[in-house]
Amino acid sequence: MKSKIILPPAKYTISFLCFLIFACSISGCSRKEKPLPIFGEREVSGNDTIYHTIANFKFVDQDSSEVTNDTFKDKIYVADFFFTSCRTICPVMKTQMLRVYDSIENDPDVLLLSHTIDPEFDTVGLLNDYANRLGVNSKKWHFVTGSKEEIYKIAQTSYFATAMEDKSEPDGFIHSGAFLLIDKEKRIRGKYDGTKEEDVNRLLEDIEKLKKEDDHG
Amino acid sequence: MTTVESKPGRARLLIMACLFVVTICSFVSCNSRSSNNTSPKFQQYYVQGEQLYLQYCSNCHQKDGSGLGLLYPPLDTSDFMQRHLEDVVCLIRNGKQGSLVVNGREYNQAMPALGISDLEIAEIATYIYNTWSHQEGLLDVKFVSEVLTSCDSLAMK
Repeated sequence: MKSKIILPPAKYTISFLCFLIFACSISGCSRKEKPLPIFGEREVSGNDTIYHTIANFKFVDQDSSEVTNDTFKDKIYVADFFFTSCRTICPVMKTQMLRVYDSIENDPDVLLLSHTIDPEFDTVGLLNDYANRLGVNSKKWHFVTGSKEEIYKIAQTSYFATAMEDKSEPDGFIHSGAFLLIDKEKRIRGKYDGTKEEDVNRLLEDIEKLKKEDDHG
Repeated sequence: MTTVESKPGRARLLIMACLFVVTICSFVSCNSRSSNNTSPKFQQYYVQGEQLYLQYCSNCHQKDGSGLGLLYPPLDTSDFMQRHLEDVVCLIRNGKQGSLVVNGREYNQAMPALGISDLEIAEIATYIYNTWSHQEGLLDVKFVSEVLTSCDSLAMK
């Protein structure tokens, strides 16, 4: 007899819980995730907004292969600026970039691009050795060198990253430790401090967000 | 009745046992993290050494001493450190160029001279030689200064 009295409320409780879960999932779906920002100046021409994009470039990577915009066609990529003999923030940046590498290693949609800002010293051979010592795949993570002017120019005008020579600095260069997240339309969608673990955690989340954005068109 | 009562009793016992195990584990892990050398001088060297390590060394060798790929050798487990304590003291002072074999793997990234005092080197040495897998005890400044005077004569090529 007792069990009969207890059962109906239990049934109500279960259906109420079901309703709650259902309601939560509905609101979860309808609550749209905030899209990632698009960095830089924008122009409106007619009904179209023209966003800031990464300019065309042509560099050479650790395999002596040419790396251009086409290398990153229909790819999301993360870019940074460093040099191999840097003893200050670069090793930390590379440790963090290695985390990014590990998370996207098997993801065909995402690539990495590290520019040396000391191309006179960082030859193709040296970059090759550096990448091998990090144990990374050259098709996934390109370490590029080229003309110093071109690299500094693209750093400053396309990626809004600081990169310049300064003999008064301990290593001879000033550069930011920024990681830049670039979408398939060559637009900057995120800027992260590559020396901070938490910032790089945010980058990893944003890469996933960006991929979802592409999935939805 | 007895079975009903014994259930919470058993659960409580289980929780107590878990707590006991956790306490023991945390105790053990605390003890194994640094050397059991607890003299105030050791503690002072160790604490200072950790700060200096974070300032000068951890960029490349990492906070956890694991190194970075084949670019920067690990310190956490290192046959080179075990075998060449005096060389390590000297290379903290003078830096290192050229190749170095650690745990059977060859590294070849230049390490800069740090330009720090004998005492600071002793503190860093005490820290790295009593953390991770190492338990060398205190490496005091007197010992380190003696080693440093003989650096040039040591084969550091």
